[in-house]
Amino acid sequence: MTVDAVLSAIENSAIAHAISKSNHLVAASLQVVHVLGFITLLAALVLVSLRLLRWTFNDQSLADISRDANRLLAVGLTLVIASGLLMFVATPQLYFYKPAFELKMLMFVGAVLLQFTLLRRLSSSDARQWVVRTVVAVSLFAWFGIGFAGRMIGFT
Amino acid sequence: MTLTSLVAWGEQLEQTRIGAALAESIYAFPIIEGIHLIGLSVAIGLLFVTDLRLAGWILKRVPATAVLRQLRPWVLGGFAVILISGSLLFMAEASALIASPAFAFKLVFILLAGINAAVFEFVSARRPGALDAVERLPAGVRFGGLASLGLWSLVIICGRLIPYLPNWT
Repeated sequence: MTVDAVLSAIENSAIAHAISKSNHLVAASLQVVHVLGFITLLAALVLVSLRLLRWTFNDQSLADISRDANRLLAVGLTLVIASGLLMFVATPQLYFYKPAFELKMLMFVGAVLLQFTLLRRLSSSDARQWVVRTVVAVSLFAWFGIGFAGRMIGFT
Repeated sequence: MTLTSLVAWGEQLEQTRIGAALAESIYAFPIIEGIHLIGLSVAIGLLFVTDLRLAGWILKRVPATAVLRQLRPWVLGGFAVILISGSLLFMAEASALIASPAFAFKLVFILLAGINAAVFEFVSARRPGALDAVERLPAGVRFGGLASLGLWSLVIICGRLIPYLPNWT
């Protein structure tokens, strides 16, 4: 099965028809949820990053900050994935061949992997500060890049 | 001042050197939109964290005063980025934004959120012992946090709906 055939099958699925043929405010609502989810997710990441870098909350334990930040991160991630999937399913051909979308997805996969491997470990260990700084910088660069690439999708 | 004259003023703004340069550049507009989104995520995202702490939903072991004090510079820095990038975006498409009810509502909610922040800063937070409780803060403080959360969410919702809703006329 070719990529085109897969995209076509997705576009002709019942759920895709339900979204694309519904009121345009349904698509708008998905965009709203996507942005709110992204803001929640990034807030959690920035919060933990600031603590990992020892720029804020130095009097509080990392565990106290990261526990609730991880809950926020889970909420944000769920919202962006759910809304993003529904947006993609409705018009897969529109997104799939756009370089900005490909870049966004590549960075997204990389950033999520980094989050659930290295960053989680850093939150529960006494790693060297240069390692912490490097990982936090790469993570934030990737997440900010995802935001940029997301905005570029509509312009490319 | 009628909507027509406001739209005409917006068109003049678009024709200024900055407005025209932004509208004509392929990259400038999306890059500034990206910066606006990042500023929004840092400022409003961390403001949400503060609001949720005031409401008593997260970071219960961290004193509310510490959350307010430590996150304030980042929130204010993010707001400076939003203000500058937002002003530039406005200059590039002022007439279309003025004609959009979603944009007008966005401004109204920003104003209400500002009033709510001022009431919190100068009234609720200044009451003796207002922020001293470890977990459950006084009702006025909790209400201020939740109002901020709701109003800034409405600002974001209105901002995202601008391209989707019909104009005033």
